[in-house]
Amino acid sequence: MNTSSPLKVFASPPLISTPRTTSKAFSTPKFSPKLPKRLRLLVSEFRSLTEPIDRVKRLLNYAMDLAPLDDSARVPENRVPGCTTQVWLDIKMDELGRMRFRADSDSEISKGFCSCLIWILDGAKPEEVMNVRGEDLAEMNVGVHGKAQSRVNTWHNVLMSMQKRTMVLFVDADMAHSGRGRAPPHQHDLLFGYANGRSYMESSEGQHDYSISLLPLYYDFTI
Amino acid sequence: MEGVAMKLPSFKSLAPTAISVASTFSIRRSFSVARRSSSLSATITADSEPVSLGHRARKDFRILHQEVNGSKLVYLDSAATSQKPASVLEALQNYYEFYNSNVHRGIHYLSAKATDEFELARKKVARFINASDSREIVFTRNATEAINLVAYSWGLSNLKPGDEVCAPLVILTVAEHHSCIVPWQIVSQKTGAVLKFVTLNEDEVPDIDMLREMISEKTKLVAVHHVSNVLASSLPIEEIVVWAHDVGAKVLVDACQSVPHMVVDVQKLNADFLVASSHKMCGPTGIGFLYGKSDLLLAMPPFLGGGEMISDVFLDHSTYAEPPSRFEAGTPAIGEAIALGAACDYLSDIGMPKIHEYEVELAKYLYEKLASVPDVRIYGPRPSESVQRAALCSFNVEGLHPTDLATFLDQQHGVAIRSGHHCAQPLHRYLGVNASARASLYFYNTKEDVDSFIVALADTASFFNSFK
Repeated sequence: MNTSSPLKVFASPPLISTPRTTSKAFSTPKFSPKLPKRLRLLVSEFRSLTEPIDRVKRLLNYAMDLAPLDDSARVPENRVPGCTTQVWLDIKMDELGRMRFRADSDSEISKGFCSCLIWILDGAKPEEVMNVRGEDLAEMNVGVHGKAQSRVNTWHNVLMSMQKRTMVLFVDADMAHSGRGRAPPHQHDLLFGYANGRSYMESSEGQHDYSISLLPLYYDFTI
Repeated sequence: MEGVAMKLPSFKSLAPTAISVASTFSIRRSFSVARRSSSLSATITADSEPVSLGHRARKDFRILHQEVNGSKLVYLDSAATSQKPASVLEALQNYYEFYNSNVHRGIHYLSAKATDEFELARKKVARFINASDSREIVFTRNATEAINLVAYSWGLSNLKPGDEVCAPLVILTVAEHHSCIVPWQIVSQKTGAVLKFVTLNEDEVPDIDMLREMISEKTKLVAVHHVSNVLASSLPIEEIVVWAHDVGAKVLVDACQSVPHMVVDVQKLNADFLVASSHKMCGPTGIGFLYGKSDLLLAMPPFLGGGEMISDVFLDHSTYAEPPSRFEAGTPAIGEAIALGAACDYLSDIGMPKIHEYEVELAKYLYEKLASVPDVRIYGPRPSESVQRAALCSFNVEGLHPTDLATFLDQQHGVAIRSGHHCAQPLHRYLGVNASARASLYFYNTKEDVDSFIVALADTASFFNSFK
């Protein structure tokens, strides 16, 4: 049993809005060690685009790469909450337990965000999806200065939606699986770090607590 | 701009971007003092080209003289919040620097001075809207809180079914701001009151005939905007009040977009309640006000409980103060109220009729220019002889999401507009759109600002078209 608090995995400091420095000398970002390689590549690419307008153009290019989403997937359940644009996110777990994402938006810039996120995370394992933090994406931010949390911050909203729904699918799969025995502890570490602040230790009496109505701790969806 | 304030030899170089920060500040101080003592309309250049109100007023707003993303800032989001002139900032600074003290309680000098200035600010607000008594002004955090005050305090006791066992009716329009919809929904859930919404007519303004027909004996309240923050239209409040009073209903006016821009006379309107926000009228955030007729306020139970609003407190009950104190629990936003008073002074010095006249002209210019851009759809009525629009336009560009538009305008051109639903989701749903862009002007904007916006808009549309 994991005696260290599983919450530590996700106990990053709350995302506080910090003023963007005017200096071009960015400090090396501290990535989570489990971060997908593609994310590092994308962040490097965007960091090299120092003019905001070039980032917009790059995002619009990526938007063109996004596969169209059928109308059948443009349903209210797939809407990403909190965005001022409309974003639909379709998510499945494949037979290997990896996450598959498709998305679309009525805004070209949001499409670009979705295209990037999908390129990074499509086919990833659930814990890889959960390990991406909002601040890891901050360098790619366009139109929202610094690392401000604001309702127009589509990156955060889409990522949060991806993570929340990944967790739901993971839990469903786990519960379906648990008829044949309890899932390994490290998978629950993943869950309980997000679930209502309860640790695996507290709910280890044989009850699985899947309280997932509370989202990862420091994100605010209010409009 | 030669010839203005001749005492200042360096005035010629007053192009805002050319001047250093320190000298701008000192010149602006002298200029605003000089301005108070002379009529603005007397300002004429040596070239006999009258300088517009926008050009003259801009100098009082340091925040407007900056670059964003490498371009000159063009601030077109005053309907969301207005900028504050130096005199308002000075008033706030002065308060904290020289006489900050809690009000209404202390006996010492600073407290007495703070109290005097706070109550003077209340009088200034009362005078600004021509309320007959400053006790009819209740300071709140903002207009939203003011509407909630009426909803919880007046609404909960007056919107219950009476002996007739028929649900009382509250009339709203689909164009209301969320702050004038949600509180009534909350009240209606508690009291069973029914909400009915007036829809728009073919001119894209709330249908006044429909409103008139909706008003019946069951109507207890009509809560409507004075000027719409999306449609730029205005409602004939005086007539609405007459119809409402005929059936014994009260009228609440959301004047957030009217008080800052035109003369609003509550006695002439005869509205029962009126709300406005300081931050939209050159005042600071954190303060707004409710105007309520004395007899109504006197009959209303408290909203928030605490200090200031009580008369005597015992363990098992308390007695309450008279209005407005009854509705001002806790330490108020003292400095902010005083700064709001300074904002009222600043606007009155210019003259609300003059501000309105200038904005009517700007509104026409904005509409004409925007309407001439291809694929643009502007919401609200077309301006005409009989229809005056406020100086704002909510619009959409075909095939371009307003958020993408606003992002590009900001990043590439330094133009600040708003995109989204502008706290009017029901209206956007009614119009069949998810979101719109909005450019909103105030008296410190100029026609050049509009021109910059239009050029930037055309550039944005062609940029996004090139990606299709």
